[in-house]
Amino acid sequence: MPPPPPHAAAVSAPLDFLRIFAGLLRAEGIPFAITSGMACVHYGLQQTTKDSDWIIPADALPRLVALLERKEGELPPWRVSYRQIFGAPLDAEYMAHGWTSHLSVWDHASSVEHKVDLFSKPPRVRPEEMQTDEEGWAVGHVVAQMKKTDRDKDWPIVNGLGQRLTERGNPLGLLHLTDIPALRLAWQAVRPEAREALAGRRPLLRHLARTPAAGDAELELLLLLERRIWERVNEARHSRYTRAWREFYRRWSKSADFAWPTPEEFWRQQRKLSRAVREHGLPADPLGDVPRESLVAEAVARLTAMRFDAEEVKSLLPPVADLLP
Amino acid sequence: MKITIVPREPETPLPDTYYDGLARTMGDEAAAWARLPPAEREKELRWYHDNFWTPDDLSICPPELGGDEGWARA
Repeated sequence: MPPPPPHAAAVSAPLDFLRIFAGLLRAEGIPFAITSGMACVHYGLQQTTKDSDWIIPADALPRLVALLERKEGELPPWRVSYRQIFGAPLDAEYMAHGWTSHLSVWDHASSVEHKVDLFSKPPRVRPEEMQTDEEGWAVGHVVAQMKKTDRDKDWPIVNGLGQRLTERGNPLGLLHLTDIPALRLAWQAVRPEAREALAGRRPLLRHLARTPAAGDAELELLLLLERRIWERVNEARHSRYTRAWREFYRRWSKSADFAWPTPEEFWRQQRKLSRAVREHGLPADPLGDVPRESLVAEAVARLTAMRFDAEEVKSLLPPVADLLP
Repeated sequence: MKITIVPREPETPLPDTYYDGLARTMGDEAAAWARLPPAEREKELRWYHDNFWTPDDLSICPPELGGDEGWARA
């Protein structure tokens, strides 16, 4: 490995910033969990990332906003800005309903841009399962649930996290494994009395219990279909957020004094965005009164339109509490 | 939502079967990376940050919310 270039001190900061930010949150008594890319690096399952993703409960957001505003006034001053992408203000009313918020932070004059993504209601994570370790890393089960996205590259990581949990003796690993040999071994190793509960959350596991056992080719097809279910349900949920944001942004951008993001201090941006989302109608809860079951039904309909067998799709559906908690 | 703090994972090494599984599903390079002690991984990651400064993810949507595909479908 060659020596770092002269600019290294300025650009080797993402890991340092992660620790600085975690330390500040801790000192302020703000609960947090580091998730997604950085957590996958921590677990040895991802090789590169610079952005950081944080879960911070909605009721702690006012303290986070106060911290960010204060850091802009301290020496060396931070610069904090919203990014020009999809997202809501750091406002409990919005964040508690599944919106995300996206900031750029510069923590000193020659700092690189630190992209900080924030969740208060992480997708697919049951609130009662929201756990971190003592250092603030979201536990493997939480990260795996969040990684059940539409991106191909995330799914091997979901499996890796499942393998890791399984090797550590955590039966929740069985909810994430997609590698057939590992899945069969883990199923054999789990206590029979735990199997029913796990199969209740992941009906695909019932196929492992069948006699004679489902063949690998059949399992592979079932795993593919199961993944499509997660993807389509995510799409049914997420499209409501993106649609709502686009409509809001279109309305907002037509206003006479529109400029976003601005070079202003963070507290001004916070005030401006919080006002804009209300004045230009960004719904706090885009899912609102939509029954979660109807979003699942929408996903099932899309899959059956793709000629997947309706009964088979239904036989693999995880509970709504896992798909859309 | 309440975040519950649980004990850290034990530092005992994971068995070879774990890394064999990663090699099977993610490739040998990913498995070799996972085998590195955390301090080594951090050292290497710092080297990448020092030498390659490119955006992580150019999607207008964060990956957990669907990434480019989610955006395109909206």
